[in-house]
Amino acid sequence: MFDKNSKPHVIFFALVLSVVCSLLITAAATGLKDRQQENMALDKKMNLLQAAGLVDAGQKPGKDAINALYDERIEEVVVDRQGKVMETEDPDGMHLYFIHAPGSRDDHDFNDIAGYIVPINTRGLWGKIQGYLAFENDGQTVSGFSVFSHSETPGLGGEIESAWFRKNFKGKKILNSQNKFVSIGIAKGKAEDLPKDEQPNYVDGISGATLTGRYLSEGIKNTLMKYEGVSVAFRQKQLKAEDKHAGSIHSSNPSGD
Amino acid sequence: MKLKSRSEYYDILIKGLWTQNPVAYQVLGICSALAVTVKMSTAIVMALALTVVTACSSMIISSMRKIIPSNIRIIVELAIISTLVIVTDQVLKAYFYDISKQLSIFVGLIITNCIVLGRAEAFALANDPIDSFVDGIANGLGYGLILVLVAFIRELLGSGTFLGFQVVPQFAYDLGFQNMGLMVLAPGAFFVIGLLVWLKNSLPGISSQKK
Repeated sequence: MFDKNSKPHVIFFALVLSVVCSLLITAAATGLKDRQQENMALDKKMNLLQAAGLVDAGQKPGKDAINALYDERIEEVVVDRQGKVMETEDPDGMHLYFIHAPGSRDDHDFNDIAGYIVPINTRGLWGKIQGYLAFENDGQTVSGFSVFSHSETPGLGGEIESAWFRKNFKGKKILNSQNKFVSIGIAKGKAEDLPKDEQPNYVDGISGATLTGRYLSEGIKNTLMKYEGVSVAFRQKQLKAEDKHAGSIHSSNPSGD
Repeated sequence: MKLKSRSEYYDILIKGLWTQNPVAYQVLGICSALAVTVKMSTAIVMALALTVVTACSSMIISSMRKIIPSNIRIIVELAIISTLVIVTDQVLKAYFYDISKQLSIFVGLIITNCIVLGRAEAFALANDPIDSFVDGIANGLGYGLILVLVAFIRELLGSGTFLGFQVVPQFAYDLGFQNMGLMVLAPGAFFVIGLLVWLKNSLPGISSQKK
C-alpha cells in the first residue's frame, strides 16, 4: 500500500515540489520580463512627466502619448558637479533630467531650459524610496515631486505617493530667506505650524509616518547637496538675466556658499 | 468526489464569515489587519487579494493532501502558497501593472498571513478541494469583513474621510472638531479590533461562546 510518510517518498516529494516551484517562478519571471520592463520604463517616464507637471495626477494618458510627450520634453543627461553636461558616460557623473520647452529638445543652454529633475534615491523605513524632484529654472523653486517606487506601510508611510503629499512640494524653496541652501524637509505635522520664515522649506508631514518623513528628508537633503552645483548654475544664470534686465550689479555671491 | 448539497456550503461560508471568523474568533491575521486598515481602499485591496490566495492555495493543497508527507507538510504548504503568490504577482506586473503596483507591498503580507496557512492546516488537509475552495473564500471574506469595518472606523475618525472623500464637513473643524490621531496609528487598530471581537462574541444567538 502507498505510504505517504515513507522516507523515499518524503525525499522524492520534497525534490519534485522544489523543482516544480522553482520552475514555475523562473518561467514566470523570465517569460514575462520584457513586458514587465516595458511597463516599468513607461511608469518611470510617467513619473518624470508628473514631477515635471506635464501630466496631472488624475490623468492617465496612453502608452504612445506618454512616449511622445517624454521624447519631446524630457531629456536624460549626465552632468558633472558644476552642472556641465558630459558627453560620455562617466563614473563620477550624476544623472539629471532636463525639462525642455516645446520644440527645443537638444538645446543645452541653461537660459532656454525650462527646468530640471533630480532623481531621489534614498532609504525609507522598510526599503528604498525612489522618486523625482523637479525644479523650475531658477534653481531653487520646486515644481513637482513624484514617487516611483517605495515599500512603506500602506496608509502611513505609503502616503508619500498620494496626490496631496506630492502636491505639497509645489512652490517650495530649497533656499531660506538668507539665500542659504537648507533643502526641503518633511515637517512633523503641518508646515503652517512652523515659524513663518521656515514654511517655504517644509512640506506637510504624514501623521503616523514620522520615520518615513525623516528618512525622506535626509535623502532629499543629501541628494540635493550633491546636486547643489547644478542648482547654483541655474541660479547664477537667473541672476545674470535679472542683472541684464535691471541694469544693476549684484556684488555679493548670489549662490550663498 | 461528489458535490455537496447547498446547505453544506452555506455552513462552511457562515463559519468562515461569522461564527469562526478568522480575525474575531480565530484571532489570525491581526498583524496585517493593523497595517492596512488606515484607509478603506487598502483594506479592500488586501481583503480581495487574500480571498483569492486563500481559496486557490486551499484548493491546490487539498487536491494534493493524499500525497503530502505529514512530517514536512508545513514547509510544503508554505512553498505552494508563496509560489502561487509570486507567480500571480509576476503575471500582474506584466499585464495589470497598476494593480500590481497597488499590491506590491501586500505580497509579503499575504504570504506570511496566518490565515492562508491556518486554513491549509486546519481545513484543506482534511477536506476535498471544492470544500476547501469555498472555505478559503469564506475565510477571506470573513477577514475582509472585519478589515473593512475596522478601516471604516479608523478612516472616519482618524482622517475624517470615507474611501478618500471628505465626510466630516469643514464647519465641524472650524468649531474645534479634531481628527483622532490615535486612529491613524497601529494602537488605534488594536482598540477597534478588540472592541469588535468583544462585540461579536457578546452578541446572542450564533455566538462562538456557545458550548
